[in-house]
Amino acid sequence: MTVAVFFGCAFIAFGPAFALFIFTIARDPLRVIILIAGAFFWLLSLLLSSLVWFIAVKASNADDAKLQKGLLVFGVVFSVLIQEVFRFTYYRLLRKATEGLVAISDEETAPISVQQMAYVAGLGFGIMSGAFSMINILSDSLGPGTVGIFGDSQYYFITSALMTLAMTLLHTFWGVVFFEGCEKSRWWVIVVVVCLHLLVSSLSLLNPLYEGSLPPVYVVTAAMAVWAFFSSGGSLNNLSQLCTRKRTEAASS
Amino acid sequence: MNLERVSNEEKLNLCRKYYLGGFAFLPFLWLVNVVWFFKEAFVKPAYTEQPQIKIYVKRSALGLLLWVAVLTTWITIFQHFRAQWGEVADYLSFTIPLGTP
Amino acid sequence: MDFLCFVRSPEKTRKMGPKSSKWIQLLLICFFYSHVSCSSVEQKIYVVVNKTTPCVRLLNATHQIGCQSSISGDTGVLHVLETPDDLDWITETGPHAPYMVLMETPAFTRSTMMRLKNSTRVAGVAVIHTSTPPDKGFSPHTSCPNQNTGVYTQSYGPELANCSTTVWNPLGNGLSYEDFPFPIFSLKDDNETQVIRKCYEDHNMRVNGSAPEYPLCAMQLFSHMHAVTDTVTCMRRTDLQNSFSINPEQLCDPLMDYNVWATIRPINATAKGHKANESMVIAATRLDGRSFFYDVAPSAEGTVSGIVTLLAAAEALRSVTQVAPPPRNIFFAFFQGETFDYIGSSRMVYDMQNNKSVIDFDNVHSFLEIGQVGLWNKQSLWMHSDPVSRRNDTVNEEVSSLVANIKSAASMLNLSLDEPNSTQALPPSSFQRFLRARPIPGVVLADHQSSFVNRYYESLYDTSEYLNVSYPPNLSPEEQLEYETEAAKSLTEVATLVARSLYKQAGGEDGMLKNITADTKTMAKLLYGFLVKSNNSWFRSLLPRDLVSRERNPILESGPPQYYVSLSQSQPKSVTTFVKYILANMTGTATRLNQSQCQNPKDISGESKDLYSYDWVSGPASENHTTGEPFCVRAPVRLAKAESPAFELRQYGSREYSTWTESRWKNIGARIFLVASPQLQMLTLGVGIAVLLVSLVVTYFISSKADILFSSTHDAPSTTY
Repeated sequence: MTVAVFFGCAFIAFGPAFALFIFTIARDPLRVIILIAGAFFWLLSLLLSSLVWFIAVKASNADDAKLQKGLLVFGVVFSVLIQEVFRFTYYRLLRKATEGLVAISDEETAPISVQQMAYVAGLGFGIMSGAFSMINILSDSLGPGTVGIFGDSQYYFITSALMTLAMTLLHTFWGVVFFEGCEKSRWWVIVVVVCLHLLVSSLSLLNPLYEGSLPPVYVVTAAMAVWAFFSSGGSLNNLSQLCTRKRTEAASS
Repeated sequence: MNLERVSNEEKLNLCRKYYLGGFAFLPFLWLVNVVWFFKEAFVKPAYTEQPQIKIYVKRSALGLLLWVAVLTTWITIFQHFRAQWGEVADYLSFTIPLGTP
Repeated sequence: MDFLCFVRSPEKTRKMGPKSSKWIQLLLICFFYSHVSCSSVEQKIYVVVNKTTPCVRLLNATHQIGCQSSISGDTGVLHVLETPDDLDWITETGPHAPYMVLMETPAFTRSTMMRLKNSTRVAGVAVIHTSTPPDKGFSPHTSCPNQNTGVYTQSYGPELANCSTTVWNPLGNGLSYEDFPFPIFSLKDDNETQVIRKCYEDHNMRVNGSAPEYPLCAMQLFSHMHAVTDTVTCMRRTDLQNSFSINPEQLCDPLMDYNVWATIRPINATAKGHKANESMVIAATRLDGRSFFYDVAPSAEGTVSGIVTLLAAAEALRSVTQVAPPPRNIFFAFFQGETFDYIGSSRMVYDMQNNKSVIDFDNVHSFLEIGQVGLWNKQSLWMHSDPVSRRNDTVNEEVSSLVANIKSAASMLNLSLDEPNSTQALPPSSFQRFLRARPIPGVVLADHQSSFVNRYYESLYDTSEYLNVSYPPNLSPEEQLEYETEAAKSLTEVATLVARSLYKQAGGEDGMLKNITADTKTMAKLLYGFLVKSNNSWFRSLLPRDLVSRERNPILESGPPQYYVSLSQSQPKSVTTFVKYILANMTGTATRLNQSQCQNPKDISGESKDLYSYDWVSGPASENHTTGEPFCVRAPVRLAKAESPAFELRQYGSREYSTWTESRWKNIGARIFLVASPQLQMLTLGVGIAVLLVSLVVTYFISSKADILFSSTHDAPSTTY
């Protein structure tokens, strides 16, 4: 494919993350630090899970297709669990950090709320996982060819980009909901997040049946968006307030 | 260096140094001079050294334009005629693109 | 982008993509977000075509010839050229230009290629090499080979210059000497071409004349050449690079290799210049050929017929010259690079004139050159001589005596042999370069009276099949090696004739002539090794063991060696090496020296490195051993550098000497893949821009209203949009 595809896919995969970053993160150094650290924690989880997977593949018989497929499923599950463990670790770390911040700050409250931290950390996870899943595909999208000579779908690049977009947003929402669950000790929330993460990752095992994997993933994303909205302090009341204020503004002007 | 913290006299001194330095075939000094002192020369409220700075900045800009014009012309001519000039152009070149005449 | 996965270097390092793990890697990419490996998406997109031979760029003092792609490869939609209709589609009507033209060798003609060359809608050409040659003949060489560097010029026989009396290669269409602005590759007809054809049929086939729909099958060819314009330019730039650049980039290298020579009586090879009391009959032939494509040059009739004849003649002479040595010495010379304006012979003449060779012109008695002799079919051979030098009476007398000697040898063998019409010029031959220096008497022996009989001169059809070197089915390689084909029998007669003529010309006694006969078995083995399979037990036994067992750049191949001269990279080309060791076997003797003595024999009485070269060869394999017993061969066989004097004199624009150089390149490669429709590409871009803009607007809106939306947490920015 060509440069057009490269930019198209890059915009799809990283456009929302980029917008979120410049409007909500970039101005505040503390948020930038939390974002980068979140990305780093995701990287650590990747390192660990890939290490385990690498050993498993090397130790197994490479010619046994069934075994390899089984290993792949195992790898997915294991990686998801590791990612969530690291998310929890990161939450503990941030809690400790806020206590420290409160102690040294002049004011009574922390400079950043737990919800904000959750959002920034989740976005950090999302950006890093998005980058890792997309960069190589992006570099191949520049070349003259497109997928399909072996009969695969020619929509590979655009669906990969859409999948990355969904994963980035999902990680953000999961971050918000997960931190809230930890904060309020609602363990079922954490269980639901882990299960959804497992579900989404397993759905991608359906590929290249993109019709089978993409819509459910987007349904989950939408549901998580709503949940995250409410768990971070939003309410229907707020929404209607926004609408009425708009209306009053329109009337007054 | 933050120009805000420098005395006007020193600003003029600096601007002059950059202006004179540009004559040693260093048009980038003029570019820096123009960019750096543009506000001082044209935006800031008037002060004693400002007319001098203005002159230096204007002259630097003029010299810079001249350089840009000369270099652009030469680069255009050279790129256009490089293949035709053959041997001469090869001796004038530092790197020659592979596989092109 | 990373092209390493499929690019192959000129040293024939070919890689196959691991296909077994393809599925797993694909799964990985698609789903397992964490473990992405670079090459796997590429493997789903590209199919690398490995068995390709490019056409490369060569340059001389004034021109560039050959082909080149852009630096990032040329891509075009595949179209198979079968009918004239396809040609119109490619060059005029087809909507998917530029096209990558796929054709079989019968379609590879001058008219087609020139039409493609003049079209701007062609990205490149891939020629599938089918083995059936066209009946009417095909020669991509010029009709007058080495036109400007032979003996005939405006000052020497002007009426014969530029092939004005005889067009030697009338079928020559000059394609090899055209400059194409796009890459041209030759593909071997096998599974890979089946994959390409299948891709074409699945995606690009026209249905009822309407254009096919995207995605289309496309091909990309990489053959970017560094050198450009001519040798003068590229050598100047190379020299400039070498003198100024920290990281010099060579652009081109002179075509060069080694001549092989041997004498029946050893001469001191370390002392250069005139040899007192030596009078030599030079027996020469050429070692190289070419075709349109790089290093595909079977040259069976054009070159191999001469090589094997001279080698067999050398063997036939060995025993007799030991028993009854003739008064004059015989100097066997195999000239390399003759196709490219006589590189080898012009170098030898230059060295002889400047006392840098082992002999000089005063040592030369006469000259017998073996031209193309493989297609004489037991009918008639022809002795060509130079009419201009024969105007001089003394020269004419000596030529006549040489002719008479050959004729008498022929009459003993009942061979039909004659001279062509006395005003006809010499055919293109190394002898012409000697005549340029001095009117020495000489004859070129060939199977053609005027124009070449060879209908495939310097083309990829000039193969063993054309020489009728074919074997009955069900023969093992060992049996084929020994099998005496008709071609072997007929060439043996020529070799016997050559051997007897040389002996007689060297002043040998007539009585000994009947003892000189070339061996049909040797000829059969020579033909098998040079035309069918160089990796055979006989060649292995004649070569040193380190050459036989070399892993990198093995010189023994499962096919015939290729005869394109190329550049010698530190060691001589395979053909040169074969000829050297076979000639050592034909003219030398086995000694009892051990390996260390063989390497350094100067302290042993009776041995001299000045007179002989010593080689530790593998030896024939016996019944119970796969490797033979190595021994030391002592032979008066030497290599002499065959680089055009133009490069020693640094006269890169020389008209006198060959100035051929070969461009350097980095990537040679080919791959096929699908290309997506511009609509899909634009759709992707459009969706991308839309997503970016929408997310910018929405995020800005939400983050500015965050305090209302998330009222329970003040000043919180959005967590969603």
